[in-house]
Amino acid sequence: MYSSIVRIQNTFGFFTTVAFCIAALIAASDFFSPRAPTVNSLKTTSVQVVRGRPHYYSTKKEEYAIIKFSLDADLSDLFTWNTKQVFVYVTAEWPEINGGNTTNKAVIWDSIITSPSADHLTNLGPASKKKLIKSAKGKSIDKSRGKLSIKNQRPKYQITHPTGKVASKDGVQLKLHYNVQPWVGPLTWNQDKHIGLWKALKNGVSKSFKFPAVKAKDIPRA
Amino acid sequence: MDQVLDRVREGAEGQIDFEGQKLAELIVNISLSLVGAIAFIVGYLQQDIKLALYIALGGSAMVFVAVVPAWPFFKRNPVKWLPVGGGAQVQAANLVVDEKAM
Repeated sequence: MYSSIVRIQNTFGFFTTVAFCIAALIAASDFFSPRAPTVNSLKTTSVQVVRGRPHYYSTKKEEYAIIKFSLDADLSDLFTWNTKQVFVYVTAEWPEINGGNTTNKAVIWDSIITSPSADHLTNLGPASKKKLIKSAKGKSIDKSRGKLSIKNQRPKYQITHPTGKVASKDGVQLKLHYNVQPWVGPLTWNQDKHIGLWKALKNGVSKSFKFPAVKAKDIPRA
Repeated sequence: MDQVLDRVREGAEGQIDFEGQKLAELIVNISLSLVGAIAFIVGYLQQDIKLALYIALGGSAMVFVAVVPAWPFFKRNPVKWLPVGGGAQVQAANLVVDEKAM
């Protein structure tokens, strides 16, 4: 600590230690905030299978399932002071009849829900970003963003299968999944089991349904 | 001109005495730990991670300001050197090197 440079080095060295300790404490604080995410309802509103091409110049035609769904879920517990954003996605899953234990699984819709502390990082246009920031003005946490109520949502992704066949498959279920991305600490997924204060995602699976037969209409693609 | 440069150099180097070094280390350890504790506790109670970040960064900046420059309170116990050339009263009478008296 004899000269200024040595004092800068020593102070910065201890600063990094303190910063690491605070970060560890913040990450640990997550385990003390209970999570009880629940899905009130997750159901399909319309399912159709159409034939289409994976891209414009493709000569191969594949079947695509277009699953519209409604979702009502309460994920507000996932928003704590350490939550940066929550990634929510819905998959359709169906068993492969002759494939043993194989399960087919494809994402049909997803969404990023930011915490007010991460609103400035969202990938939105300036106007909607301003609106988003304004919606949580003065709030460090906005639990209401975890309350999802989506009706008759069109899928973001029309799904198919490596064989190109999805029509008439039975035992399809929609499943809600989420990721909690914290500011510091590990990325956590939805759980099937209770872990400490974190409850498993309740009721996150829809009733099983069947993909219908192919519709004659082509899937509109540019 | 040389004197001015010397003073600038001295200021930049920021030398302090031994007691000052002890004090500086004590200030760094205690205040940075306190800043960290306050940042976490306030952030947790307010459930506001940005607040915690700003407290931690602001507090650390203040610690840097308090410790890095050679403030006068770090220089209150200067080392008293013997006079140059060894004055009349300094005698190397009992200096022993390698068991040989000089």
